[in-house]
Amino acid sequence: MVKKKKGTVKEKKGTVKKKSPAKKKEVAVKRKPSPVVKKAGSTSRKKNVLITGVTGTVGSRLAEALYYDKNVGVIMGVALGAKPYYFNQFDTKRFRYKNLNILKQRDLTNLFLAGDFKEAKINTVVHLAFLNRVVSASKEKKTFNTLNVEGTRDLLDKCMETGSVTKFIFKSSDVVYKIRPHNPIYLDENADLNFDMDVDPWIKDRVDADMICQSKLDNRNTNIVILRFSNIIGRMVSSQMNAFFDSPLNFRALGFNPLINLIHMEDVIQAIHLAIRKNVKGIFNIAGADTAPISTFAEINRSRMVSLPEPLLRPSNALLRMMGLTRYYYSVDRDRLKYSLLLDTGRAQKTLGFRPRSHVYFERGVA
Amino acid sequence: MNQRARQRARAVVKALIPEDYERLQSIKINDLGFGYDPFGLEIESAMMAYAVAKFIYTHWFRVESHGVENVPLKGPVLVTPNHSGVLPFDGAMIMVDVTKKMETPRIMRAVVDNFAGFLPFLNTLFYRWGQIIGARRNFEELLRQGEMVLVFPEGHKGTGKPYRERYKLTRFNVGFMELSLLNKTPIVPAAVIGAEEQYPYMLDLKPLARVLNFPYMPVTPMMLLLGPLGMVPLPTKYAIYYGEPLHFYRDYPPETVKDPETIYGLVDTVKTRVQELIDQGLRERKGVFGFSLPSSFSGLLGGEDETAPPEERKRIQEKAGS
Repeated sequence: MVKKKKGTVKEKKGTVKKKSPAKKKEVAVKRKPSPVVKKAGSTSRKKNVLITGVTGTVGSRLAEALYYDKNVGVIMGVALGAKPYYFNQFDTKRFRYKNLNILKQRDLTNLFLAGDFKEAKINTVVHLAFLNRVVSASKEKKTFNTLNVEGTRDLLDKCMETGSVTKFIFKSSDVVYKIRPHNPIYLDENADLNFDMDVDPWIKDRVDADMICQSKLDNRNTNIVILRFSNIIGRMVSSQMNAFFDSPLNFRALGFNPLINLIHMEDVIQAIHLAIRKNVKGIFNIAGADTAPISTFAEINRSRMVSLPEPLLRPSNALLRMMGLTRYYYSVDRDRLKYSLLLDTGRAQKTLGFRPRSHVYFERGVA
Repeated sequence: MNQRARQRARAVVKALIPEDYERLQSIKINDLGFGYDPFGLEIESAMMAYAVAKFIYTHWFRVESHGVENVPLKGPVLVTPNHSGVLPFDGAMIMVDVTKKMETPRIMRAVVDNFAGFLPFLNTLFYRWGQIIGARRNFEELLRQGEMVLVFPEGHKGTGKPYRERYKLTRFNVGFMELSLLNKTPIVPAAVIGAEEQYPYMLDLKPLARVLNFPYMPVTPMMLLLGPLGMVPLPTKYAIYYGEPLHFYRDYPPETVKDPETIYGLVDTVKTRVQELIDQGLRERKGVFGFSLPSSFSGLLGGEDETAPPEERKRIQEKAGS
């Protein structure tokens, strides 16, 4: 089923491989400046990067990639908890770790006033910190919403206040789009967002945070970049599709078999890295190299998939979660299990020079 | 479909229609790597659908066609026929016809109404067979990929019109003309004769249609008489006529889309051409079922039978006059 293609890398979920052909591509794109490129900021200056949520899978991979990039100076990683062991290999002059909750107002203020921050001359902020756990208790829901949405707004405001932060990169997701059966097959960055009242709080947070960043896109001093990724697949990644394919038993809507796109972790890192390096601003859709119906991926993964009438999906999923058999939340992907959602990545290709290079590989797979 | 199911599907198609198998094999799709194109088309599913539709094409509707050489062999093209018959058998028959008769077979991508997207099973089947839900962006993408696109400018108004309005074109939507000019795409007008009589429907159960989210819910005399069996269309004889391609984009630049008056004028030109082809088809056919009916039966079908041969029609008119 899965064809091995020339020039592509197949690897286990979540492992990073460096590849040489990418450099050539990026140089070629640099020669053609895109109309979106602004003169504000400079590509020649070394990037000193603050990564929020650095202990997450994407954050730690990004920190590793930036650490080996000669164009990047200091990397400051911020997350909750003690410094993880895998950061000990990094030189503390180049990589600094802070244990704080960036989404809390007090911690945020302390960070921006700290000598470390000023000394590091942070000019780029990559905002990855986002609480992904969906909770049912309404009180907790509110807390999560406050942290995710208001935390993002406070962080962005602080970055703009300092005047030294010239780029703010927000990792968004394709869940922000409104999924409808009559959507175009490829959704571009201007497609309608999901403002439904009954939408899952997890999606609502994403949409709200995305909108907050969008509202500041015109800022002259800080270039804001919003990267909307398709379904990220990789070891320990907390994405919906990752949870879906990790489950020993999956349910899908009877009579529907939508196309989905999966993106490899390496391509996620590549896109953020490009957004840091290139002098760009705006919204970019980022999709991976693999697109197929959901049943095809399940088959490659050797997942047991059962088709159920739509009204039975929610209780069945709840039952599986109660039994501890899945981390997947049906209510988040209610429409995605019925209708296709593919991203138009034309803008990212043209402006960022992004091309997906890696194919996803399922450990249980037949490939 | 998995690899094994695909092999089985190909074997079934080969057994059912050995004469067309090689032609179908030669069709190429924009495969994303798993056997599907970006719109969800899967060639094996399309081949199976073709095999079934061809049986209906040959044995039920006994389709004959004229002017298929007018359809370009490559590059983007819009085919714009009249639309009728409650269920879109007309679209399926055109698709079989071009695949069967064109020198180089091409898959025709039909644009279906939005409501089809909501329906389980049908939604998936349409995508696998190469049909597209009618979003404008999808049209553009298909034309950019150089596909042949079947558009019914009448939309569901055409399939939902009652029997007494057969072969009278309803208002044409203008979107196809805008896309033709913007994407420099020729338009092939076409006419389908025979589909308008397959479901002679008299009544539209609008409240039920609203509940089911359908554009209409027709009731035909056959449904009243035979129950579910009445859903089987009458075996009318189909004739398909393809007109010469119209290259409006040669004379009208893309900016013309901002001039509604001109666009409506061009759409009217296409509509007139389709009506001419319909009239030609009605003149040339030998009756609704492929043979002339006695005049008394023609009268039962709705007074003046414009589908009867000209001499027969003249005779009916004279009789009515006396």
